[in-house]
Amino acid sequence: MHDRATLSPPWRLGIDIGGTFTDLVLIDAKGLLRQHKASTTTNDPSEGVIDVLRLAAEAAGLSTASLLGGCSHFVHGSTIATNTLLEGKGAKVGLLVTEGFRDSLEIRRGIRSDPWDHRKPFPPVLVPRSLRLPIRERTDKMGRGVVPLDDESIRRAVSEMQSRGVEAVAIAFLNSFISSQHEHECKEMVRGLWPDVWVYASSDMVRMVGEYERTSTVVLNAYVAPRVVPYLRRLESRLKECGLKRPLLLMQSNGGVVSVQQVEQRPASLMLSGPSAGASALMVCAKAIGSQDLISIEIGGTSCDVILTDEAGVGMTNSTEVNGYHLALPAVDIHTVSAGGGTIARRDQGGMLRAGPDGAGALPGPACYARGGVDPTVTDAQLVLGRLQSGRYGGGLISLDKKLAEDAINNRIAAPSGLTTVHAAAGIVRLMEQEVIHAVEKVSVERGFDPSRFTLVAVGGAGAMHGASVARALGCRTVFVPRVAGVFCAFGMCTADARQDVVRSWLKPLATTSASDIGEFLNTLAEETRQRFLDEGFAPEDIIIERALELQYKGQQSSVIVQVQETDISAIRRAFLEQFRRLYAHDQGEDEIDITGGRAVGSVRLGFTEQKSCERTRREIEPIELRPVYSEDIGDFKKTPIFEGDALQYGDTIDGPALVESSTTTVVVPEGCRLEVDSGSNFLIHANHMPGMSS
Amino acid sequence: MSFDAVQLALIQKQLDHVSRQMGWVMVKTARSPIFSQSHDFSCFVGSAEGEVVAQADGLPIHTGGAGFALRAVLNRFAGNIAPGDVFILSDPYVAGGNHLPDWTIVRPVFCSGTLVAFTCNRAHQSDIGGGAVGSYNTSATEIFHEGIRLPVLKLIEAGVTRQDVWELLLLNSRYPEPMDGDLRAMLGAVAIGAQRLQKLFDELGADRSRLALEAVLAHADRMMREAIGQLPDGVYEAEDVSDNDCFEAVSVPVKVKLTVRGNKITLDFTGSHPQIKSFKNSSLANTTSAAFVGVMSFLGSAALPRNGGALRALEIIAPEGTVVNARAPAPVTMCTMFPAADIINACWRALAQADPQRASGSWGKCSYCSTSNSDLSHGKFGISHWFGSSGAGAVFGRDGFNVMSQVVSMGGLALPNVENYEQIYPIHVHSYEFRKNSAGAGQFRGGTGATYVVDVMAPGSYNFTGEGIRTPSGLGVNGGCDGSKGELFIKLDSGEVADTPQYGERDFPPARLTIQSSAGGGWGDPRKRDRAAVHRDLDDGVISLDHARSLYGYAEQPDKRM
Repeated sequence: MHDRATLSPPWRLGIDIGGTFTDLVLIDAKGLLRQHKASTTTNDPSEGVIDVLRLAAEAAGLSTASLLGGCSHFVHGSTIATNTLLEGKGAKVGLLVTEGFRDSLEIRRGIRSDPWDHRKPFPPVLVPRSLRLPIRERTDKMGRGVVPLDDESIRRAVSEMQSRGVEAVAIAFLNSFISSQHEHECKEMVRGLWPDVWVYASSDMVRMVGEYERTSTVVLNAYVAPRVVPYLRRLESRLKECGLKRPLLLMQSNGGVVSVQQVEQRPASLMLSGPSAGASALMVCAKAIGSQDLISIEIGGTSCDVILTDEAGVGMTNSTEVNGYHLALPAVDIHTVSAGGGTIARRDQGGMLRAGPDGAGALPGPACYARGGVDPTVTDAQLVLGRLQSGRYGGGLISLDKKLAEDAINNRIAAPSGLTTVHAAAGIVRLMEQEVIHAVEKVSVERGFDPSRFTLVAVGGAGAMHGASVARALGCRTVFVPRVAGVFCAFGMCTADARQDVVRSWLKPLATTSASDIGEFLNTLAEETRQRFLDEGFAPEDIIIERALELQYKGQQSSVIVQVQETDISAIRRAFLEQFRRLYAHDQGEDEIDITGGRAVGSVRLGFTEQKSCERTRREIEPIELRPVYSEDIGDFKKTPIFEGDALQYGDTIDGPALVESSTTTVVVPEGCRLEVDSGSNFLIHANHMPGMSS
Repeated sequence: MSFDAVQLALIQKQLDHVSRQMGWVMVKTARSPIFSQSHDFSCFVGSAEGEVVAQADGLPIHTGGAGFALRAVLNRFAGNIAPGDVFILSDPYVAGGNHLPDWTIVRPVFCSGTLVAFTCNRAHQSDIGGGAVGSYNTSATEIFHEGIRLPVLKLIEAGVTRQDVWELLLLNSRYPEPMDGDLRAMLGAVAIGAQRLQKLFDELGADRSRLALEAVLAHADRMMREAIGQLPDGVYEAEDVSDNDCFEAVSVPVKVKLTVRGNKITLDFTGSHPQIKSFKNSSLANTTSAAFVGVMSFLGSAALPRNGGALRALEIIAPEGTVVNARAPAPVTMCTMFPAADIINACWRALAQADPQRASGSWGKCSYCSTSNSDLSHGKFGISHWFGSSGAGAVFGRDGFNVMSQVVSMGGLALPNVENYEQIYPIHVHSYEFRKNSAGAGQFRGGTGATYVVDVMAPGSYNFTGEGIRTPSGLGVNGGCDGSKGELFIKLDSGEVADTPQYGERDFPPARLTIQSSAGGGWGDPRKRDRAAVHRDLDDGVISLDHARSLYGYAEQPDKRM
């Protein structure tokens, strides 16, 4: 490594496991930052973690034990929950349901994601009907136990599950979002009868109205728990053996960190463990840029993840879908589209170019990887266009061959379409960028925001190649490429706060609900949030809790979240109207407003030291070479200066067209754009808006 | 071709994106649950010639024939369509509508003074007056009994809303307040769509914009003809028969003679039953949509663009005066479900002869009813008992979906949660689960119906539309068996089982409603079903041991575990 400065303890480590690479970011007590990449080890991901730790230790001239020993926060983004689901390798789950309602999980509210494609089956149901066992009990809509919980049916169900080799039990009773009493009694009884089984109740996951979503959530949780929890315990003890003195922290889908011990209550909250770290990294970018209105596009090998943040913070959602399975746990609202370096392009039978949705993955990968891939991908196109070149990338972990890229594009697309190889390659990139543009519009326009007032944050291995082009099409004036662009999520893990979200349905007309009832309801949620932190050993004075109500006009489907400082009904109404107007550019007056729920979001700041600014330099910088690179503006190749990114300093400016190559990413600076290096060694690209057809 | 493979792709994606954006605006701002929760609306982009160019976010049955509405606007207001105008229409006889409750908003988009496209929104209104709450009037014998008829009207003229027209619309609904909000949501959606298209067209210029839309349609046409070309040439005749005309038990067949010649399909519905007295007659627009859904879903490639270009290879012959093209003033409100489903089934069965492998068992027809009460002392409510939804038909490679919405939506409508419905309505649900032994047996079995038992705790007016409760409707194919017919009972507090009609409206005091919904048809010989799948159905309690033995030839020990 080029920088041998000694690290100042204690430092933080963030480790993110991706499909191809395992990334590590280290930030020391003085804000010094290091980044490393190792190959992901699919069979046992913890191997890759140990590998990247060894790399980081060597680079710092330390042993792995001293690297771990000097660490104050070790945050891990684990893909174990996601992979367990994607590979269908979860536990055998038994589901206890209210008698008469055995099939909510499999009816799935009858939703087909593409109704026209009626031949495609649903993904397999996670608990077969034979293991969805009816329990005699019923709680009515007011929360009254109108049919008492029947012990005998629980005993029968437990012995049935035992005889069938069930590993984990999920309990989902009707109306448990109002009263969880039956679920909890049932859970205690299952524990008593079967002490060593994994058992989870839906009301402990989330107290939201809607039996399908709650059932699906508790089932997912039970499905991953017996795989996730032991793995994390093993990883933690292995790291401790290697020298780690602090608890292992995990990144949750809500963008905050949590200990292994806490995550055992809700292991499904790790489902978006990796990408959700982008949220905290984005908050650091907001400080560096001096604006809270940001949209990040993280473009990797297979997909593009889009996250929006504004003055109200990072967009959150109460429900997500992972591979067709519904999960109702609070999560960073990440919109993912199939647009990455490995996205495959093809020509359809009607003579139209298509990009995706499938990708070439890490194996065989793009044609230019020379690992047997023959389908042309976006990476192949970039190679043809001169933005990438033959040779080694990703710290030598992959190697590209331009001839293979040209052949793939020519054979599959250019020749049959009557296009030149170069124009076909440019077309592939434009089509993929259009997908990214539409994804950014979805997260912004769908919420009532104009994307042009946002700064685009271009990250991931390939984000910076497309950032300026996407920004120009959207009318965004600035693109921010943080120097940690290639390891953005690992960086986010180093900078995240501890966070707990407690969300609960509460269906009341605003007009007839008293301020004291609202206050009491929100206090209950806040208390539960606080308790979770206290259980983890945080000091009461460090816990910050924000309360909010979810409100909507009677009959509407989507709620508006309104922060509640004091429980004054008219202030709540005013805040709702204001928020509604901001989102939808109109309001519907004093029509009936319903409360649909509330939330308490707790956090404990784990503040980290930001990097020192260095002296601003004024100097002429020289490109390392000039080479022909395709320019979208002139529709042809142009001799373009290439700069070495890692050598740039605060104050350097580069006018486009230019390429900046750094160790983990390549930045494309188109004609008419200017790149500037800020005091944190990040790149700012000022994109003047030139309308093109790809808007 | 004036657009290359890349330009074509960029334009098509943008048009799809614009129609999706319109949908986002609708979902976020509409008031009625029918829009916001059930998504009973479709947004689309039309060409200046009146063809649907993009409809990324639509219900299958809504948009296939939506070109009729666009052409009605073009004919009625020829030479009088200006920037800032917005049209509204619904009537199937004079305005190209499919049925009266679906209102279509059409907004022209201009470039340098030339009409280039329309942004449109078709949405099912909660109530448009007429003889029944919710506008499904089972006793209608004329379209005048079905609610307000909208010819093509200018709702907004040069940017100014015609307040008089607006008031007329609201005055004719039993639920004017949500309708006001819903109309605003519809208008907001087409305005956003128009704004987005404007940007694209301004970059391309008027002439090239019109050519671009044509290029997108021509591409779909090529794709469709390529897919049709895979089918063997021939003449295939099929039918689907309804067992009633809402008033009596009579056979009402929809017949189709489907001719595949080269890369073109002719669908000739000659011989279908003459139009009937009740509201199960179809408009030509709706018949076109249904035929389009039938053919497109059979061909079934996700890559086929679902726009008007794909319709060009289909010729539809629907004689006037029949159930598939009724003459005014026949009532038509039910047509988007029936005879739309009959038309889809007839097309599927005809195409199945051309390619048996791609045949589909029929989906069970409607077994549920709705309950409403407009008496304020009990609180107004209107419940669709969607928990009594039917099972879907099987295709090669998958069993039918258990408990799904009607075939016309193909799963595009979400079913509610019991918990949500109990909060909103005066009901207590006792059961909502799979109906045992109902699925049509087959190598791939049909989807099961539902067993739904509910106490309706207030008096209400019950609207019955039990198309699938007299005879089996989820028919099997290729040797697969039919799914069970639906059943519906209402038990009063006295213990007496009330007399309920297949179609009609009745008032009852608080009562217990039981629906055993109809199930889907199977695909292929049940004796060829994978034994592990038979065993699993048995273990799951979806079929009984008797059923397994008699229909599937199951011979293993009943207590053997997998």
